Amino acid sequence: MQSKSVYKIPDGKLLKISLNYTKNKIIEIRIMGDFFAYPEEAIEIIETKLKDSYLNRESLLNKINSVIKDNNIEFIGLTAEGLTDGIMMCLK
Amino acid sequence: MKEQWRLLKTENISAAKNMAIDRAVLVANSEGNSPPTVRFFTWKPPAISIGYFQSLKEEVNLDVCKKLGVDCVRRITGGGAVFHDDELTYSIVIPEDHPQIPKNIMDSYGRICGAIIHGLDYLGIESNYKPINDIIANSKKISGNAQTRKLKTVLQHGTVLMDVDVEKMFSILKVPNEKIRDKLISDVKERVTSVKHVLGRDVSFSDAAEAMKTGFEKEFNVELVEGELSEEELKLAKNFERDFFGSKDWNHRR
Repeated sequence: MQSKSVYKIPDGKLLKISLNYTKNKIIEIRIMGDFFAYPEEAIEIIETKLKDSYLNRESLLNKINSVIKDNNIEFIGLTAEGLTDGIMMCLK
Repeated sequence: MKEQWRLLKTENISAAKNMAIDRAVLVANSEGNSPPTVRFFTWKPPAISIGYFQSLKEEVNLDVCKKLGVDCVRRITGGGAVFHDDELTYSIVIPEDHPQIPKNIMDSYGRICGAIIHGLDYLGIESNYKPINDIIANSKKISGNAQTRKLKTVLQHGTVLMDVDVEKMFSILKVPNEKIRDKLISDVKERVTSVKHVLGRDVSFSDAAEAMKTGFEKEFNVELVEGELSEEELKLAKNFERDFFGSKDWNHRR
Protein backbone atom coordinates (compact mmCIF):
# COMPACT_ATOMS: atom_id res chain seq x y z
CA MET A 1 0.00 0.00 0.00
CA GLN A 2 1.07 3.57 -0.68
CA SER A 3 0.32 6.44 1.63
CA LYS A 4 1.49 9.98 2.38
CA SER A 5 1.31 12.28 5.36
CA VAL A 6 1.99 15.96 5.93
CA TYR A 7 2.65 16.90 9.52
CA LYS A 8 3.68 20.21 11.06
CA ILE A 9 6.09 19.29 13.87
CA PRO A 10 5.05 21.20 17.04
CA ASP A 11 7.40 24.23 17.26
CA GLY A 12 9.23 22.80 14.27
CA LYS A 13 9.14 22.35 10.54
CA LEU A 14 6.93 20.62 8.02
CA LEU A 15 7.45 16.87 7.65
CA LYS A 16 6.24 14.96 4.62
CA ILE A 17 6.31 11.17 4.64
CA SER A 18 5.83 8.92 1.66
CA LEU A 19 5.28 5.34 2.77
CA ASN A 20 5.06 2.03 0.96
CA TYR A 21 3.91 -0.67 3.40
CA THR A 22 2.22 -4.00 3.93
CA LYS A 23 -0.38 -4.59 6.63
CA ASN A 24 2.10 -4.13 9.46
CA LYS A 25 5.57 -3.51 8.03
CA ILE A 26 7.42 -0.74 6.19
CA ILE A 27 8.58 -1.70 2.70
CA GLU A 28 10.04 1.68 1.81
CA ILE A 29 9.92 5.15 3.32
CA ARG A 30 10.88 8.61 2.05
CA ILE A 31 11.33 11.33 4.69
CA MET A 32 10.98 14.84 3.25
CA GLY A 33 10.46 18.37 4.49
CA ASP A 34 12.03 21.72 5.33
CA PHE A 35 13.67 20.57 8.57
CA PHE A 36 17.42 20.33 9.25
CA ALA A 37 19.40 17.18 10.09
CA TYR A 38 23.11 16.97 10.82
CA PRO A 39 24.72 15.31 9.01
CA GLU A 40 22.21 15.59 6.15
CA GLU A 41 23.05 12.14 4.80
CA ALA A 42 21.73 10.69 8.07
CA ILE A 43 18.19 10.88 6.77
CA GLU A 44 19.08 8.24 4.17
CA ILE A 45 20.49 6.02 6.95
CA ILE A 46 17.18 6.35 8.83
CA GLU A 47 15.21 5.53 5.67
CA THR A 48 17.30 2.40 5.13
CA LYS A 49 17.14 1.26 8.76
CA LEU A 50 13.36 1.65 8.86
CA LYS A 51 12.85 -0.88 6.05
CA ASP A 52 11.05 -3.99 7.37
CA SER A 53 10.21 -2.20 10.64
CA TYR A 54 6.87 -2.95 12.28
CA LEU A 55 4.34 -0.13 12.06
CA ASN A 56 3.97 0.15 15.79
CA ARG A 57 4.49 3.54 17.46
CA GLU A 58 6.65 2.32 20.33
CA SER A 59 8.92 0.09 18.29
CA LEU A 60 9.34 2.75 15.58
CA LEU A 61 10.25 5.38 18.15
CA ASN A 62 12.78 3.04 19.78
CA LYS A 63 14.33 2.23 16.44
CA ILE A 64 14.54 5.89 15.34
CA ASN A 65 16.06 6.88 18.69
CA SER A 66 18.66 4.13 18.44
CA VAL A 67 19.64 5.13 14.87
CA ILE A 68 19.94 8.76 16.03
CA LYS A 69 22.17 7.72 18.91
CA ASP A 70 24.34 5.32 16.88
CA ASN A 71 24.97 7.89 14.14
CA ASN A 72 25.22 11.07 16.27
CA ILE A 73 22.35 12.65 14.36
CA GLU A 74 21.09 16.08 15.37
CA PHE A 75 17.67 17.26 14.22
CA ILE A 76 16.53 20.87 14.14
CA GLY A 77 12.84 21.45 13.49
CA LEU A 78 12.21 17.70 13.70
CA THR A 79 12.11 15.21 16.57
CA ALA A 80 12.11 11.42 16.85
CA GLU A 81 8.56 11.64 18.26
CA GLY A 82 7.44 13.89 15.41
CA LEU A 83 8.96 11.59 12.83
CA THR A 84 7.21 8.60 14.43
CA ASP A 85 3.88 10.46 14.50
CA GLY A 86 4.32 11.45 10.84
CA ILE A 87 4.86 7.80 9.89
CA MET A 88 1.88 6.57 11.93
CA MET A 89 -0.34 9.25 10.34
CA CYS A 90 0.16 7.49 7.01
CA LEU A 91 -1.99 4.66 8.36
CA LYS A 92 -5.04 6.82 9.06
CA MET B 1 45.28 44.03 14.12
CA LYS B 2 41.90 42.56 13.26
CA GLU B 3 41.65 39.11 11.75
CA GLN B 4 41.09 39.29 8.00
CA TRP B 5 38.50 37.20 6.19
CA ARG B 6 38.01 37.04 2.45
CA LEU B 7 35.08 38.83 0.81
CA LEU B 8 33.74 37.61 -2.54
CA LYS B 9 31.15 39.39 -4.66
CA THR B 10 29.75 37.37 -7.55
CA GLU B 11 26.76 38.81 -9.37
CA ASN B 12 24.46 37.28 -11.99
CA ILE B 13 25.46 33.63 -11.66
CA SER B 14 23.36 30.54 -12.39
CA ALA B 15 21.79 28.49 -9.61
CA ALA B 16 23.98 25.44 -10.23
CA LYS B 17 27.15 27.53 -10.26
CA ASN B 18 26.20 29.46 -7.13
CA MET B 19 25.67 26.27 -5.14
CA ALA B 20 28.83 24.75 -6.64
CA ILE B 21 30.88 27.76 -5.53
CA ASP B 22 29.59 27.52 -1.94
CA ARG B 23 30.56 23.86 -1.80
CA ALA B 24 33.94 24.48 -3.46
CA VAL B 25 34.81 27.17 -0.90
CA LEU B 26 33.74 24.80 1.89
CA VAL B 27 36.07 22.08 0.61
CA ALA B 28 39.00 24.48 0.05
CA ASN B 29 38.53 25.98 3.52
CA SER B 30 38.34 22.53 5.14
CA GLU B 31 41.71 21.69 3.59
CA GLY B 32 43.23 24.87 4.95
CA ASN B 33 43.67 26.29 1.46
CA SER B 34 41.21 29.18 1.79
CA PRO B 35 40.52 31.64 4.59
CA PRO B 36 37.14 32.15 6.26
CA THR B 37 35.05 33.58 3.44
CA VAL B 38 31.93 35.71 3.15
CA ARG B 39 30.31 35.89 -0.28
CA PHE B 40 27.54 38.16 -1.54
CA PHE B 41 25.83 37.05 -4.73
CA THR B 42 22.85 37.26 -7.06
CA TRP B 43 21.18 34.77 -9.39
CA LYS B 44 20.75 34.95 -13.13
CA PRO B 45 18.36 33.68 -14.30
CA PRO B 46 16.13 33.88 -11.21
CA ALA B 47 16.03 30.51 -9.46
CA ILE B 48 14.30 28.28 -6.98
CA SER B 49 16.50 26.49 -4.49
CA ILE B 50 15.03 23.68 -2.43
CA GLY B 51 16.28 22.22 0.85
CA TYR B 52 18.29 18.99 0.83
CA PHE B 53 15.33 16.97 2.17
CA GLN B 54 12.65 18.36 -0.09
CA SER B 55 11.10 16.89 -3.19
CA LEU B 56 11.52 19.18 -6.19
CA LYS B 57 8.27 18.17 -7.82
CA GLU B 58 6.31 18.51 -4.56
CA GLU B 59 7.61 21.98 -3.77
CA VAL B 60 7.88 23.59 -7.16
CA ASN B 61 5.56 24.09 -10.12
CA LEU B 62 8.10 22.89 -12.65
CA ASP B 63 5.99 23.83 -15.67
CA VAL B 64 5.73 27.43 -14.46
CA CYS B 65 9.50 27.51 -13.85
CA LYS B 66 10.12 26.37 -17.40
CA LYS B 67 7.69 28.91 -18.82
CA LEU B 68 9.23 31.78 -16.83
CA GLY B 69 12.85 30.68 -17.41
CA VAL B 70 13.48 30.05 -13.71
CA ASP B 71 16.32 27.67 -12.72
CA CYS B 72 15.88 24.96 -10.07
CA VAL B 73 18.56 23.56 -7.78
CA ARG B 74 18.78 21.34 -4.69
CA ARG B 75 20.95 22.80 -1.92
CA ILE B 76 23.28 20.81 0.34
CA THR B 77 21.60 22.58 3.27
CA GLY B 78 18.25 21.70 4.79
CA GLY B 79 15.38 24.16 5.11
CA GLY B 80 12.70 25.21 2.69
CA ALA B 81 12.23 26.25 -0.91
CA VAL B 82 13.31 29.78 -1.79
CA PHE B 83 12.63 31.90 -4.86
CA HIS B 84 15.81 33.88 -5.59
CA ASP B 85 14.95 36.89 -7.70
CA ASP B 86 15.58 40.43 -6.46
CA GLU B 87 17.70 39.63 -3.44
CA LEU B 88 21.16 39.72 -1.99
CA THR B 89 22.25 36.22 -1.07
CA TYR B 90 25.14 35.68 1.32
CA SER B 91 27.21 32.70 2.30
CA ILE B 92 29.82 32.27 4.99
CA VAL B 93 32.34 29.43 5.15
CA ILE B 94 34.41 29.04 8.30
CA PRO B 95 36.03 26.21 10.30
CA GLU B 96 33.72 24.66 12.89
CA ASP B 97 36.35 25.22 15.59
CA HIS B 98 36.88 28.91 14.82
CA PRO B 99 36.57 30.80 18.14
CA GLN B 100 33.87 33.08 16.67
CA ILE B 101 31.59 30.14 15.84
CA PRO B 102 29.48 28.63 18.64
CA LYS B 103 29.70 24.83 18.82
CA ASN B 104 25.93 24.65 19.27
CA ILE B 105 24.23 24.79 15.87
CA MET B 106 21.27 26.92 16.96
CA ASP B 107 23.60 29.37 18.69
CA SER B 108 25.68 29.63 15.53
CA TYR B 109 22.57 30.42 13.45
CA GLY B 110 21.85 33.26 15.84
CA ARG B 111 25.41 34.52 15.66
CA ILE B 112 25.63 34.55 11.86
CA CYS B 113 22.14 36.04 11.56
CA GLY B 114 23.46 38.75 13.89
CA ALA B 115 25.72 39.91 11.05
CA ILE B 116 22.72 40.26 8.73
CA ILE B 117 20.73 42.07 11.43
CA HIS B 118 23.60 44.57 11.82
CA GLY B 119 23.71 44.94 8.04
CA LEU B 120 19.97 45.63 7.87
CA ASP B 121 20.43 48.13 10.69
CA TYR B 122 22.98 50.02 8.54
CA LEU B 123 20.31 50.21 5.85
CA GLY B 124 17.90 51.65 8.42
CA ILE B 125 15.88 48.49 9.03
CA GLU B 126 15.23 47.16 12.50
CA SER B 127 15.05 43.39 12.52
CA ASN B 128 15.26 40.38 14.83
CA TYR B 129 16.39 36.78 14.65
CA LYS B 130 13.44 34.42 14.77
CA PRO B 131 14.49 30.83 15.46
CA ILE B 132 14.84 28.47 13.79
CA ASN B 133 16.22 30.22 10.74
CA ASP B 134 14.45 33.47 9.92
CA ILE B 135 15.10 37.17 10.34
CA ILE B 136 11.97 39.28 10.63
CA ALA B 137 11.26 42.98 10.17
CA ASN B 138 7.83 44.39 11.10
CA SER B 139 6.82 40.80 12.03
CA LYS B 140 7.45 39.65 8.45
CA LYS B 141 10.23 37.49 7.06
CA ILE B 142 12.96 39.50 5.34
CA SER B 143 15.69 36.83 5.43
CA GLY B 144 15.83 33.03 5.46
CA ASN B 145 18.96 31.11 6.39
CA ALA B 146 20.29 27.54 6.20
CA GLN B 147 23.40 25.94 7.61
CA THR B 148 25.31 22.74 7.03
CA ARG B 149 28.41 21.38 8.69
CA LYS B 150 30.65 19.15 6.61
CA LEU B 151 34.38 18.31 6.79
CA LYS B 152 34.52 20.14 10.17
CA THR B 153 33.48 23.31 8.34
CA VAL B 154 30.40 25.50 8.63
CA LEU B 155 28.57 26.75 5.55
CA GLN B 156 25.63 29.03 6.14
CA HIS B 157 23.85 30.76 3.31
CA GLY B 158 20.81 32.97 3.34
CA THR B 159 18.79 35.64 1.66
CA VAL B 160 18.14 39.32 2.15
CA LEU B 161 15.00 40.09 0.18
CA MET B 162 15.45 43.35 -1.74
CA ASP B 163 12.06 43.30 -3.45
CA VAL B 164 9.41 40.60 -3.76
CA ASP B 165 7.10 39.76 -6.59
CA VAL B 166 4.70 37.81 -4.40
CA GLU B 167 2.44 36.82 -7.27
CA LYS B 168 5.37 35.36 -9.19
CA MET B 169 6.87 33.71 -6.10
CA PHE B 170 3.69 31.87 -5.20
CA SER B 171 2.96 30.93 -8.79
CA ILE B 172 6.24 28.99 -8.67
CA LEU B 173 6.29 27.66 -5.10
CA LYS B 174 3.67 25.21 -3.93
CA VAL B 175 2.84 26.38 -0.39
CA PRO B 176 1.15 23.87 1.89
CA ASN B 177 -1.65 25.18 4.08
CA GLU B 178 -0.28 23.45 7.16
CA LYS B 179 2.67 25.77 7.36
CA ILE B 180 0.61 28.91 7.04
CA ARG B 181 -1.92 27.88 9.67
CA ASP B 182 0.74 27.78 12.37
CA LYS B 183 1.85 31.30 11.62
CA LEU B 184 -1.65 32.67 12.18
CA ILE B 185 -1.59 34.50 8.90
CA SER B 186 -4.38 33.79 6.53
CA ASP B 187 -2.76 35.04 3.37
CA VAL B 188 0.59 33.76 2.14
CA LYS B 189 1.36 37.19 0.81
CA GLU B 190 1.38 38.56 4.34
CA ARG B 191 4.37 36.44 5.39
CA VAL B 192 7.21 38.19 3.64
CA THR B 193 8.57 41.69 3.30
CA SER B 194 11.58 43.25 1.60
CA VAL B 195 14.16 46.01 1.96
CA LYS B 196 12.30 48.05 -0.65
CA HIS B 197 8.97 47.60 1.08
CA VAL B 198 10.29 48.61 4.50
CA LEU B 199 12.35 51.60 3.29
CA GLY B 200 10.03 52.71 0.50
CA ARG B 201 12.94 52.97 -1.94
CA ASP B 202 15.21 50.79 -4.07
CA VAL B 203 18.60 49.82 -2.66
CA SER B 204 21.31 48.69 -5.11
CA PHE B 205 23.18 45.41 -4.73
CA SER B 206 26.43 47.27 -4.08
CA ASP B 207 24.90 49.43 -1.33
CA ALA B 208 23.28 46.39 0.28
CA ALA B 209 26.54 44.41 0.02
CA GLU B 210 28.45 47.29 1.64
CA ALA B 211 25.96 47.36 4.53
CA MET B 212 26.17 43.58 4.98
CA LYS B 213 29.98 43.72 4.84
CA THR B 214 29.93 46.22 7.70
CA GLY B 215 27.43 43.97 9.50
CA PHE B 216 29.76 40.95 9.33
CA GLU B 217 32.74 43.07 10.39
CA LYS B 218 30.84 44.36 13.41
CA GLU B 219 29.39 41.02 14.49
CA PHE B 220 32.66 39.09 14.21
CA ASN B 221 35.15 41.92 14.89
CA VAL B 222 37.04 41.15 11.65
CA GLU B 223 38.03 42.95 8.48
CA LEU B 224 36.59 41.64 5.21
CA VAL B 225 39.08 42.00 2.38
CA GLU B 226 37.80 41.64 -1.16
CA GLY B 227 39.37 38.74 -3.05
CA GLU B 228 38.80 36.19 -5.79
CA LEU B 229 38.09 32.49 -6.00
CA SER B 230 41.34 30.48 -6.16
CA GLU B 231 42.25 28.22 -9.08
CA GLU B 232 41.49 25.23 -6.86
CA GLU B 233 38.05 26.60 -5.96
CA LEU B 234 37.21 27.35 -9.60
CA LYS B 235 38.15 23.80 -10.56
CA LEU B 236 36.18 22.27 -7.67
CA ALA B 237 33.17 24.45 -8.51
CA LYS B 238 33.22 23.33 -12.12
CA ASN B 239 33.23 19.68 -11.03
CA PHE B 240 30.45 20.19 -8.44
CA GLU B 241 28.35 22.00 -11.03
CA ARG B 242 28.73 19.12 -13.48
CA ASP B 243 28.34 16.24 -11.01
CA PHE B 244 25.79 17.65 -8.56
CA PHE B 245 23.98 20.97 -8.88
CA GLY B 246 23.67 20.93 -12.65
CA SER B 247 22.59 17.29 -12.82
CA LYS B 248 19.07 15.88 -12.93
CA ASP B 249 20.13 13.03 -10.63
CA TRP B 250 20.99 15.46 -7.84
CA ASN B 251 18.15 17.92 -8.29
CA HIS B 252 15.44 15.25 -8.60
CA ARG B 253 16.86 12.78 -6.09
CA ARG B 254 13.85 13.27 -3.76
